[in-house]
Amino acid sequence: MKHPTAAESSESETEATGLPFFHSWKGVYLFVLGSFVFWVALLVALTKYFS
Amino acid sequence: MSALDFVVLIGSMLGIAGYGIWRTRGRRSLETYLHGDRKTPWFAIGLSVMATQASAITFLSTPGQGYLGGLGFVQIYFGVPLALIIIAVFFLPIFRRLNVYTAYEFLGRRFDGKTRLLGAALFLVQRGLGAGLTIYAPAIVLTTVFGWPLDLTIICSGLLVIIYTVAGGSDAVTVTQKYQIGIIFAGMVTAFCLLVAKLPSGLSFTDTLALAGGFQKLNAVNFSTSIHERYTFWSGLLGGTFLMLSYFGTDQSQVQRYISGASLREGRLGLMFNAVCKIPMQFSILLLGVLIFVFYQFEPPPLFFNPTSTQYLVAHNADEKLRAYEADFNSAHAQARQQLEGWVKARHDGDQSAAAAAFTAASAAHQQGEQIRAAASDEMPAKKTGATANDADYVFITFILHQLPHGVIGLLVAAFFAAALSSKSAELNALGSCTTIDFYRHLIKRDATDAACVIASKCFTAFWGLVAIGFALYAHLAENLIQAVNILGSIFYGVMLGLFVVAFFVRRVGGTAVFWAAVAAQTLVFILYFSLTISYLWYPLIGCAACVLLSLIIQAALGETSKSAPASQVS
Repeated sequence: MKHPTAAESSESETEATGLPFFHSWKGVYLFVLGSFVFWVALLVALTKYFS
Repeated sequence: MSALDFVVLIGSMLGIAGYGIWRTRGRRSLETYLHGDRKTPWFAIGLSVMATQASAITFLSTPGQGYLGGLGFVQIYFGVPLALIIIAVFFLPIFRRLNVYTAYEFLGRRFDGKTRLLGAALFLVQRGLGAGLTIYAPAIVLTTVFGWPLDLTIICSGLLVIIYTVAGGSDAVTVTQKYQIGIIFAGMVTAFCLLVAKLPSGLSFTDTLALAGGFQKLNAVNFSTSIHERYTFWSGLLGGTFLMLSYFGTDQSQVQRYISGASLREGRLGLMFNAVCKIPMQFSILLLGVLIFVFYQFEPPPLFFNPTSTQYLVAHNADEKLRAYEADFNSAHAQARQQLEGWVKARHDGDQSAAAAAFTAASAAHQQGEQIRAAASDEMPAKKTGATANDADYVFITFILHQLPHGVIGLLVAAFFAAALSSKSAELNALGSCTTIDFYRHLIKRDATDAACVIASKCFTAFWGLVAIGFALYAHLAENLIQAVNILGSIFYGVMLGLFVVAFFVRRVGGTAVFWAAVAAQTLVFILYFSLTISYLWYPLIGCAACVLLSLIIQAALGETSKSAPASQVS
């Protein structure tokens, strides 16, 4: 079994996202959930409006 | 297909495979063969994860689902965003910290050897069978349509993917997937644009949506709480989250894709890329099927999309009953078309009552046509012998073949093969890795050198490729192809996820308790699958919950405190 390298061990939740508008991972996850809500709302609207 | 189509198809397939072999020449160490060079950026990981999941079945069969059943199938993907966030937060950091080759190595660290082997065995069984379907599904559809020999198509495409996957390992999979998904997107976008251009000129965008909605094809979200309905918001969100969590979090074919990133950041962003893109992507493919439905309201569709049934009709042209079915169906379609043209005109004139009357008449004629189609379907020999002549898998390819120009046909067939090869190569790579690391080096030859493991991995990859070809040569499917793959996964994935949930979150449970809990839970899932009629989306949730609960009960019965370390302390 291989042991974790020093590089991997240093990886953590505080690692920068490197993205222009999302500086924390929490922000990235909220954006993902927001896009999910957007698509569900769009699909519900499609269902309600055209059925 | 014309010569131009064959040039596009064969050139793209061989070109990508050859490039993959050339780019990954010289990969000799076990680390680079199984993990890649650890320089993969997030975008390549994201495309690789997407290409691994989206097989040829996705692109062949999903438009047919949209044509027949509308947008409701998109709900199965409602669990993807939440599942991928959970994996990015909890699973990926631990897999990377332990620097494991397979997800099941982690189970060995957290529990014991037998639990690791159980997890690996569950993966090998379900993915080994799934790999057969991955290669069989596009082959059966394409050979039925084009008249190619089925066995030869399966063997040629299977051998091609074996050659470049064995030669280049994990990196060859990632490198080729980038170009394969490029061809897939190019083909699907081209088909979408040409389809929109082929819709009647007087039909506006809102007319198109209103027509599809009137035939219930835009019912994307169903909030019914019935567990017997296959696709609902709740089965998608709850059952789908467990199904996707199991697939992305515990299936080595996916784990191997995102642990090969240059850093934790690259792996996470690759997963988030899929979390954002998956629902719109599937929606677009289903919408393509809905638009094909609208297109065929103004163009005469075949009585059957499945060419086998059509050939039977031609061969039995003397049969008056069959001829009457075809004539009645064409008559009903012509009547529906006439009414729909009146409906469009009335809408544009602002005459709501005339529009409503025309649409009601069109719906009735359409319904009559579908009843004739169903009655004719019962006369087909496949139905009489008990087999299913499923039309959904043939809708898109029939449209392509009869409505799109040469060159584009070749591009789309190349897209289907690219999708088949991309998911197949990732599966073979994972099956070879798992057999090498979790069985060969763990059980058979513990002192094997890295060089010996690379050779073993190549041999096992080729072995699983040949098993998949063998399975594909003898596979007979009972249901729509994409559903068959999802059902197979849902039977095994729940228990696999249960093992990982206990490993990550239930500290008090040890290896013996979780092992027997998993065996009992898998037995329970088998019994329920053959005795209940609930949606298959619920089985991952049931399997996972049963595994977690039973492991707690068995651990309590064993009456001993686990000596296993919690996941966060495993090293």
